[in-house]
Amino acid sequence: MRKIPEIGTYVIAFLIILVLIFLLPRMMPGDPLTAICGEEVLVEMTPELRTELLHRFALDEPLWRQFFVYLTGIMHGNFGYSYYYNAPVLDIILEALPWTLLLVGTSLLLSTVLSIILGIESGWRRGKISDKSLLTTTMILNGFPNFFIGIILLLFFAVYLGCLPLQGAKTPYSGLAGIDSMLDIARHLVLPLIALTLAQIPGSYLLMRNTMLTTLKEPFVRTAKAKGLSKVAVRYKHAGRNAMLPIVTTTGVRVGIIFTGALFIEIIFSYPGVGLLTYNALFMRDYPILQGVFFIVAVFVILANFVVDLLYRKIDPRIGDANTEYAH
Amino acid sequence: MLTPNMHINYWRELTRNNFGKLGLAMLCLVLVIAIFAPFLARYDPGEPSHSILMPPSLAHWLGTNDIGQDIWSRLLCGAKNTLLVALGVGVFTTILSTVIGASAALVGGLYDKILMRVIDALIVIPAFIVIILVAAYVLPNVWTLIFLISILTWQGGARLVRAQTLSLKERMSVYAARTFGANKLYLVIRHIIPDLNPILFAVFIHSATRGVFMEAGLAFLGIADISTVSWGLMMHHALRFYYLDVWKWWLIPTGLALSVTIMALVFIGHAFETAMDPRLREMEQEDWQC
Repeated sequence: MRKIPEIGTYVIAFLIILVLIFLLPRMMPGDPLTAICGEEVLVEMTPELRTELLHRFALDEPLWRQFFVYLTGIMHGNFGYSYYYNAPVLDIILEALPWTLLLVGTSLLLSTVLSIILGIESGWRRGKISDKSLLTTTMILNGFPNFFIGIILLLFFAVYLGCLPLQGAKTPYSGLAGIDSMLDIARHLVLPLIALTLAQIPGSYLLMRNTMLTTLKEPFVRTAKAKGLSKVAVRYKHAGRNAMLPIVTTTGVRVGIIFTGALFIEIIFSYPGVGLLTYNALFMRDYPILQGVFFIVAVFVILANFVVDLLYRKIDPRIGDANTEYAH
Repeated sequence: MLTPNMHINYWRELTRNNFGKLGLAMLCLVLVIAIFAPFLARYDPGEPSHSILMPPSLAHWLGTNDIGQDIWSRLLCGAKNTLLVALGVGVFTTILSTVIGASAALVGGLYDKILMRVIDALIVIPAFIVIILVAAYVLPNVWTLIFLISILTWQGGARLVRAQTLSLKERMSVYAARTFGANKLYLVIRHIIPDLNPILFAVFIHSATRGVFMEAGLAFLGIADISTVSWGLMMHHALRFYYLDVWKWWLIPTGLALSVTIMALVFIGHAFETAMDPRLREMEQEDWQC
């Protein structure tokens, strides 16, 4: 019997998010209405609109009623209304989200694969010049904040060399279709993707290298070598596959880090995802958008953690109930 | 769990490791700059002037920004802000982690169970995004920012401290002291806390690194007290002028100063952990960028 992961943890995390979004604008000094609706609402504020909004958020009622109204809204997929864009928050976010998912997804894939390969090769060659130089390079890279990596790439490739597009996700009004349009999108993706991936590699690479080092000491690796298997088979099929487990378990955490990184990278490259949306919302004090983006990203990351937890139990049966049988 | 050996001289291990040496040297450099900034700066960093967006010259080594402030002077003064955040977040987060983690391990029972559940839940939530949202409302100054970052990022450290305290509790020396009739408080002060020191230093370095990164990130997003001289805020302003040549002496030096500081902390942390126990590398799973 395989135990399902501690679903309670994820429920608590979700509740913390819900309560935080609810309490934050209501605890701030000043008018809670502006804190909920954003400062743009003041432009078209009339006494009628004010009473209507007060009623909509139940702000004239006790806190528990307000929470109930807020919860009902979220259940119906109502994340509020942006007075800056004059549109429901959900529509605006859903328009931006695909670009962010494209960026985050490709970066997660690329950084994971590269980290695994680099980590395996580096661990295998422990102490050799190739291992040492790779370790040093990643340690230096680790010191660069993701947004500075993005800025350097932008300045060098887009401003100085001018060989890659400066901003956006596709050429506007180009009328491209089919394969050309896809190539255009790919060209715009290159720099943000590299920036995000470079910022992500050091952490996962160091983890992979460390696990590889401990795995290589295991008796089964010696057995594999003694059997006369090829070096590639020992490295990848035997040691590498086993050393991959920590990388798999940290995928959920890494999704969170990449999402956060994407917020910054999108700003630098004016990439039209939720990061750029957040940046503009911060500037315009458009709180509904901020709350919406925060909610959706947080829920995405919590879900990613949950899925990884489920998968992990499938990959490694020692986790969960079976744990006791394998305990030393 | 890991067993930090009390016969290891951590300071000597740190200065023996190349990364450790380099990290300490870089950190000292930033520290010296921060202390002597008022003497090294040639202008008041907050003073605007009529000569705006000037290229580097003898008068202005790194030119001037869009409101005529001397960039070199601002760069020097930014070191103080960054180190203040590093120290503040490092100390405060370490205290929070220690109090929560150690008390969970020592008290045990339901208290421990509830705390662990909350910590597990908090680790799943992307902390930096929470901080961005809260900061958007609070508009923090340096001190509230230190408080905010610490109060939202102690969970990883607390888990480590708890695990370490649990293993220390089972040590022979603690058993021996208990058979001699030592009470709980004596055990904590005399046996548990001293042996926790290495792990607390590791938590401190990680928190400080995270603090520097997050402060710079928030300022880069434009969430910062405009009166503070912050490297992140300087980059935020400089990026708007990327189409002019000013990035060469405004954006890049500032970014490098920030990177050198983070790199120094990363190197020290790495060297220290290598000296302590390779198994402590578990911390790397919770990347400091989170």
